[in-house]
Amino acid sequence: MNIDYSQEMPVIESRISLAEIDRLISRPLDEKPDKKFLIALSITLTLLLVGVISISYLFLYGTGVWGLNQPVGWAFDITNFVFWVGIGHAGTLISAVLYLLRQKWRTGIARFAEAMTIFAVMCAGIFPIIHTGRPWLAGYLTPYPNQHGLWVNFTSPLVWDVFAVSTYFTVSLVFWYVGLIPDFGLLRDRTASKLKKTIYSIFSLGWRNSHRNWMHYEKAYMLLAGFATPLVLSVHTIVSFDFAVSIIPGWHSTIFPPYFVAGAIFSGFAMVVTVLIFVRKVFDLQHIITLNHLDKMNKIILVTGSMVGYAYAMEFFIAWYSGNPFEQFIFINRAFGPYAWAYWIMVSCNVFIPQLFWFKKVRRTIPVMLIIVILVNVGMWFERFVITVTSLHRDFLPSSWGYFVPSVFDLGTLIGSFGLFFTLVLLFTKTLPVVAISEIKAVAEGAQPSHNGGKH
Amino acid sequence: MANQDFSQNEKPEANYWRSFEELYADQKTLEAKKHEFLEGVTNDFNIEKNLSGLSRRKFIALLSASAALAGAGCSDYRDKGEVIPYNVKPEEVIPGKPNYYASTCNGCAQNCGIVIKTREGRPIKIDGNTDHPINKGKICAKGEASILNLYDPSRLQFPLIKQGGIFEKASWGSIDSQIKNSLDSASGSEIAVVTHRFNSPTTKKMFEEFQIKYPSAKIYAYDVYHNEIKNSAWKKCYGGDVFPLIKWDEANIILSLEGDFLGVEGNVVEQMRLFSDRKNVNDVKSFNRLYVAEGNMSLTGMNADYRFRLRPDNQLAFVLSLLNELITKKNISSPAVDANIKNIIPSFSLKEFASQNGIEYKKLSHLVDDLAANRGSAIVYGGRALNEQTQIAVNLLNEVLGNTKTYRPDAVDISKSVYSSNEELKNLVSSMNSGKVKAVIHFDTNPVYHLPQDLQYEKALGKVPMVITLSESENETAYASNYVLPISHTLESWGDYNVRTGVYSLQQPVISPIYNTRQKEAILLNLISDNPQNYSEKLYLDYLKKSWQENIFPKLSSPFTFEKFWIGALHDGVITTKEEAPQSPRSGVSKFPSLWEELGMGLISHKKVAGFTVMITESYRLGDGRYANNGWLQELPHPVSKVTWDNYAAISERSAKVLGVKNNDLVEIKVGNKKVSIPVILQPGVADNFISVETGFGRKNSGVVAQEAGVNVQPFYALSENSNSPWMVTNASVSKVSGSYKVISTQDHQNFDDALTKNAHLKRDIIQEGTVLQYLKDPDFLHKNKEHHLPNMYDDFAYNDVKWGMSIDLNRCLGCGNCIAACNVENNIPVVGKDQVEKGREMMWLRIDRYYSGTPEEPKPAVQPMLCQHCDQAPCENVCPVAATQHSPDGLNQMVYNRCVGTRYCSNNCPFKVRRFNFYNFRDHFANGYYLQDSVSLMHNPEVTVRSRGVMEKCSFCIQRIMEAREEAIRVNQPLKGSDVRTACQNSCGTEAIKFGNIKDPKEEFYQYRNHKLGYYVLEELNVKPNVTYLAKLRNTHSEEV
Repeated sequence: MNIDYSQEMPVIESRISLAEIDRLISRPLDEKPDKKFLIALSITLTLLLVGVISISYLFLYGTGVWGLNQPVGWAFDITNFVFWVGIGHAGTLISAVLYLLRQKWRTGIARFAEAMTIFAVMCAGIFPIIHTGRPWLAGYLTPYPNQHGLWVNFTSPLVWDVFAVSTYFTVSLVFWYVGLIPDFGLLRDRTASKLKKTIYSIFSLGWRNSHRNWMHYEKAYMLLAGFATPLVLSVHTIVSFDFAVSIIPGWHSTIFPPYFVAGAIFSGFAMVVTVLIFVRKVFDLQHIITLNHLDKMNKIILVTGSMVGYAYAMEFFIAWYSGNPFEQFIFINRAFGPYAWAYWIMVSCNVFIPQLFWFKKVRRTIPVMLIIVILVNVGMWFERFVITVTSLHRDFLPSSWGYFVPSVFDLGTLIGSFGLFFTLVLLFTKTLPVVAISEIKAVAEGAQPSHNGGKH
Repeated sequence: MANQDFSQNEKPEANYWRSFEELYADQKTLEAKKHEFLEGVTNDFNIEKNLSGLSRRKFIALLSASAALAGAGCSDYRDKGEVIPYNVKPEEVIPGKPNYYASTCNGCAQNCGIVIKTREGRPIKIDGNTDHPINKGKICAKGEASILNLYDPSRLQFPLIKQGGIFEKASWGSIDSQIKNSLDSASGSEIAVVTHRFNSPTTKKMFEEFQIKYPSAKIYAYDVYHNEIKNSAWKKCYGGDVFPLIKWDEANIILSLEGDFLGVEGNVVEQMRLFSDRKNVNDVKSFNRLYVAEGNMSLTGMNADYRFRLRPDNQLAFVLSLLNELITKKNISSPAVDANIKNIIPSFSLKEFASQNGIEYKKLSHLVDDLAANRGSAIVYGGRALNEQTQIAVNLLNEVLGNTKTYRPDAVDISKSVYSSNEELKNLVSSMNSGKVKAVIHFDTNPVYHLPQDLQYEKALGKVPMVITLSESENETAYASNYVLPISHTLESWGDYNVRTGVYSLQQPVISPIYNTRQKEAILLNLISDNPQNYSEKLYLDYLKKSWQENIFPKLSSPFTFEKFWIGALHDGVITTKEEAPQSPRSGVSKFPSLWEELGMGLISHKKVAGFTVMITESYRLGDGRYANNGWLQELPHPVSKVTWDNYAAISERSAKVLGVKNNDLVEIKVGNKKVSIPVILQPGVADNFISVETGFGRKNSGVVAQEAGVNVQPFYALSENSNSPWMVTNASVSKVSGSYKVISTQDHQNFDDALTKNAHLKRDIIQEGTVLQYLKDPDFLHKNKEHHLPNMYDDFAYNDVKWGMSIDLNRCLGCGNCIAACNVENNIPVVGKDQVEKGREMMWLRIDRYYSGTPEEPKPAVQPMLCQHCDQAPCENVCPVAATQHSPDGLNQMVYNRCVGTRYCSNNCPFKVRRFNFYNFRDHFANGYYLQDSVSLMHNPEVTVRSRGVMEKCSFCIQRIMEAREEAIRVNQPLKGSDVRTACQNSCGTEAIKFGNIKDPKEEFYQYRNHKLGYYVLEELNVKPNVTYLAKLRNTHSEEV
């Protein structure tokens, strides 16, 4: 291959005109949903319905409908929570961190990834509420003044979670919305429908494409990116505190914050790749979301996957090195105990399989890539499962050891969360531009002045 | 204002004014200022005068009235219950204050003295009567939990008559006259009354009068488990009627042969106490040493210092080998041993016996040495299930060793009934079959379930014209009856008991019958009265009083009148008289040689017994099955296997391998024409080719709870021939059958599985133990070479007042589970059902952990009660997001149910896993709300919140008792002492293993247990600072090594 490294690779392949970009990206919004879309939506809504039924049963009868027991007080609920929060991280990383790092290739995928963040956090947010024994009292988790003089316990990581996740959701939503404003303006100008025009007008906040508009916009976007950046680290750090602050061997570990953040980015990127593979195909966006994008994301998956692998190894090393028999036991038990099957699924999917991304061919072949990223998602779900359940099921006193078996309602709730996520993703593709039109125009060929007249 | 003369007024003081009126001191305003409220707002508010038109007040009044009307009139408010104060307050009832009444438990033939706690007229807790000379304030788990039987929704609530195969409700009046007419017309054909053993002198008198009225009446008595073989062997040896009581506390060495004297045999409550009297950690030198030889791992076997795995059919050879070793090798001579015996026994070599049965000879030689060295202060105890030959050999062994000194000369157990012999029962059945029996009255018995199958009792019942069953709840026999008469519970009945020489106890009702029931004695008494229609509740009371006045009162030569005496006796619940025990003369020492001949002892060969032996044993929890419908007892984990809700065939690992079965596989046990399929549990320590199964399970027609709980193995209960054990069948064929049945235990069976989990409890210092010799050599051995400096991040909280703590002595703890039952009752613990125990959701606040070390053949069990440790630095407290679990200034870790949202984080972070989560509203969830029915809610302890779904709970150190003691201390203006509080578990512990008190008070007895050299904390290295101290178990072995 002879790539000219003196030149940046074009972010958008082939010279498509700016008008063509407008048309291409806003096309799904202009057209009526087709049969394929409706079929897809009916599938995701069915999954969502499964979740709704499962949760209704849960509310009606109690936590007992799940497979939880003594000693395993958390299993699918917290696994799903951590999993979905993790999925969200890729979006923030792409839209905020890469923005600050001036990574122009991010423009093609940032909007979508950011939307996925919001949906993923919405999915995640369900679990802390429904996992409580009395969800109707979940409001107790927020510090609000009351006549009882009761206050939350600020030493509990669960309270930190409430703040971390709600902050994350708010900032992500605002960040996303601010990024959407110029596109709303564009859509308002394009549309002929009166209703749409009204809606777009409201959301575009009087956007007029003026220099002043752009100046404020860029400043605000940058500031919000700055806001969101620490959240990439903080949210999953705090989520990891749910475990790390406890005294249970297998949970009580200082490696958790970086390990969780790496894992979150790992799983988030895998999810983004999974969805983008379909989106670019279905909406004919191959030129905008290019193979180069996927290639780059796969590299990040490789890096973070290896970091996660390092963390796995380090946990074992520290367990041995600490000389703590409880710690040593829990790790040997993870790998060779009753939950060895889950452990080895996790290691295979997260550490071994992503190593295939060392090969460029694999990074750029869509079907192989798709299989790998799906396996990464499976592996990362199992990682959280392994951490949560295997640490709890055999802790200090052998007399209280147990084994967790999920019930249909556990599975139903998991399925339902995927249903919610993909329903939201589908609705998003039909209601908002999946790629930031204004941003993509800025990186289209010829959009920026250059020394060679726009040529390479 | 206009007519005000400004100049006349005093100049207003330099003051702030709010209006011109005020500034110029307007009269009206000044007047108004004197009143706090405007006119019409004060007490003399007049609705006529003030509410003209639609004033603001009227509007509000109308609004609120209509809102109240709408609220009250239109809502279907669920709580229809009314709280009505007493119109005429009973003198003895103070709302909120419990009353205590002494009575007697009638749960089994031991008839322990009890004290019943009642609140506002409802019995809520049963404890032992401390004044009772036998059980001394303690009762067993069955007694504790039996309060649930009183409120059991399955109780029969009215009399039933079977008409056309269907039971119909009937009135007592019509039933009385029907039965009476029928009995009166019996004229010569038999009236059979079938009862259990009874110890009541007045019941006996009543039966005698019944027989006078109906001369053709015969009284039959049976029990599934009894001491008849022991007694008859004793009679043959010495001539006395019953096997004597044993001074367990005076025995240095105890050898128990297949005898579960700490579990189910004899007066367990008393035996536990006497046994543990010799496990005093402040006097380690006086520790007794327990040897047990048994087939299955029993509760007694778990507590043995040395345990031998031995099939019960090899026990005789074992005793003879011991005799040989002692007589021949140790040269112990006794007049009971003649030349003949001396000639025979040398063929029984202990060494050979040891090698044939896979027992380590060294351990046996320790036993022989101990027995020889402790002559006169040891006891060899043959279990009731051993056959007569073995019992006689055991008697001889005790005679030779001089252990007859450990028998109690002053008192014996007394029964007022005589068990029917096999012949009598067979005759009864044949007369029933031949139509010679007019009526059968089941006096609170269930013979259809209990009696040996070979008798075909149920079939014979069909030939009897009138079958009357007196029962608290439906059972197998009731279904085969024409008349089912509901009887009152023990707590609703009068009664008296004389279980031991000179001990008379009284039973009094503490609640009037909840349903339309009569006490069983009164039913029969009414039948023989002149006018049965004049029944009154006082019928039996009057009879009882008269009986006492005539028979017992004169024995006392009391200075009081009978009425005074009666009130005093009722108050105490028990009286003692000075009576001579009808003790056997023990002149029979020379009888042994002739007995020897008679029993053909010489012909007993020493060969190994082949084939499977199956033994049925009494259930630790359900007794003979009468407690099968008690959810608390069904759910109480088996003390050894921790299995709940089921019985199972306990077999050894090796036998399981031979049969090709694993846990939960079904095996079919076949004896003659009787077949039973039952799941298998691999129980460490069981003899090979031996199966032990508990009875009392597999009940039919017996209420919701007992349904589908376990397998009925009662068919193996045999009509014993030739004084063989009726509970043991030899040469059973056992084979694997297809299918499996999940037996649920509260603890995993993983301890022998792999190297990873083996001996985890020892490696982790959860169980710390040593030996007596080790301790005597170095009392500090436990804490040597252990780093103790664990720094704190935070300053310790200064507990200025009382700080509560507990100490659990593992030397005394037997692992029986009485404490769990007591805790369940005290703290309103729900029954969750088998499916939930299977999921690991049992709710008991206190559990008894059982660990094995050693090999599956020679396991070394260890037990440990585990409850909330009330850690000073509790890991649960800092992770609760809503601060629902908190530390109190007296050192308790508290749960605030109302605040709990149920994140379960506290439980996850609890290293002891003692927290319990309400995964459901368990009262609603279990058996379609079986225990949500009205009668059950009467049982709840009103001082303890009934927890709802989604809430975490755990041991509270019986905070309600602490608060009660605190209130009392405030009332009498004395400082609260640790000894003022006794927790429910502590109170119920038959061995006083649990001590509770104030950690900070060095003057208290508790202090020495809290700070004992054997004391340790579980998981000490976590530095959570538990307030429960465990005293390490000292095994009384011959070496310093454990």
